[in-house]
Amino acid sequence: MTVARLAWFAGSLVVGALIILGWQWIADAKLVSPVFLPGPDRAWAALVRGFASGTLEEKLFGTVERMVYGWLLASLVGIALGAVIGISAVARAYLAPMLEFLRPLPASAIIPVAIALLGLSEGMVLAVIAFGALWPMLLATIHGFAAVEPRLYEVSRALGLSRWSVIWKIALPSALPDILSGMRLGLTIALILAVVGEMLASRDGLGLWILLAARSFRAPDLFAGVIVLGLLGFVSAMILTVVEHRLLRWRATR
Amino acid sequence: MTAVDIRPRAPVSAPSTTPLIAFDRVDLTLGGRKILEGIDLTIGQGEFVCVVGPSGCGKTTMLRLIAGLFQPSAGRVTYQGKPIAKPRQDIAIVFQDYGKALLPWRTVSGNVALALEAIGIPKAQHGDRIGGLLAKVGLAKHADKYPNQLSGGMQQRLQIARCLAQEPAVLLMDEPFGALDAMTRQGLQDEVLDIVGQSGATVFFVTHDLEEAIYLGDRVIGLLPNPGRVAESFPVGLVRPRDQLATREEPEFLRLRRVLFDFIKAAEA
Repeated sequence: MTVARLAWFAGSLVVGALIILGWQWIADAKLVSPVFLPGPDRAWAALVRGFASGTLEEKLFGTVERMVYGWLLASLVGIALGAVIGISAVARAYLAPMLEFLRPLPASAIIPVAIALLGLSEGMVLAVIAFGALWPMLLATIHGFAAVEPRLYEVSRALGLSRWSVIWKIALPSALPDILSGMRLGLTIALILAVVGEMLASRDGLGLWILLAARSFRAPDLFAGVIVLGLLGFVSAMILTVVEHRLLRWRATR
Repeated sequence: MTAVDIRPRAPVSAPSTTPLIAFDRVDLTLGGRKILEGIDLTIGQGEFVCVVGPSGCGKTTMLRLIAGLFQPSAGRVTYQGKPIAKPRQDIAIVFQDYGKALLPWRTVSGNVALALEAIGIPKAQHGDRIGGLLAKVGLAKHADKYPNQLSGGMQQRLQIARCLAQEPAVLLMDEPFGALDAMTRQGLQDEVLDIVGQSGATVFFVTHDLEEAIYLGDRVIGLLPNPGRVAESFPVGLVRPRDQLATREEPEFLRLRRVLFDFIKAAEA
């Protein structure tokens, strides 16, 4: 790490520490009622207590499971469907208008529909997560497959590659950068919808924990839940960054 | 350059050898426009044919017909007497835009492996084959690099290596050195002559560089545009192996250079 980067990193730590200090000061001075705003000390204590008793861990696991399953489902459908649509100009022409209509639809808007169809079930939450997370992946994959260098298709024809080989060895790796950025967006959406889904359908997880803590004025628990959610988002994004760096090694080698 | 074990070719090889590729009154219309008209051309086994002509005369289109990427609207393009219905693995194409023709996400060896995978060589044999091919084009030390870490000349060498992996009987080269600087280009010209001399492959070489055409070819075909048609065939009476300095100073080279310049000038007028 260079000196400049180290300085930036140190700077960001200082800013973070200052924000926490300010938060502590506001809480201590009781500018906001302690019923609603616990200091970082009480939030931390609730966090430790939650993990010590195993409750918070359990909720975290529930949310992670939901988020990951929904996201994987969306990835599978998004990439497969995106590949089919992206590779064929005819499919694009037929399906693009409908996709453009469905895409801007907020995923939360379909929750009532999903509830009507699937009830307040785990399946409903998963369906909503998958539906919401699907779009960025689907559109990115379509774009990635449609943007494959035409010369590479000629090279494949000249080499006599099978249709399957062309998809697997040419189109998919070529579309991979687009697909990965779509998956990154999708993961964020999956986390949001996992939390919303838990709140609406009373499925056990961090979302429900936060909602119940707020309703019973357990502000430290509420904040502990929010902190865990923030960390979850951060860590999952970091894991994806590492995966992306590994898979797209060839890009960084200029 | 290692110009050591080249089989000397016959000084002038007009299509005296067995015909391998033949255009038989070929027309090609694309999007309502006539690109080629009445093309008649026979290319002999092992012949090095260079094609020149003003832009829009259908040089590349002829190459794509042999490649099986296009089908003629009328007439036939045959290989060993049979029409070329689709691309064949023993006919390899070297594209001009090497940057687009290579897989940026595969290493140098990975790019060569693509051709081996296509022709179904067992994985166990890849290492040796790739090593041999990369050595042949002088990329042995760069096997684990990615294309974007290579210079233009090296990328084009890599594309040539990938084509050689197909063990082609015919090499189709579409202005392969057009984007390279003069020194690199001369080096690659000699390497191609070397490789072709060793393998005995037939070459169809499209270029806009007249001197390159004379230097490389057994024969130079001059095309005329609108629609593209074969105007003249110029046999090249230069001995092989050729030499960047000596060959280019020979009276025959200078004579052909003059003739071809006049031809292109007239064709463009």
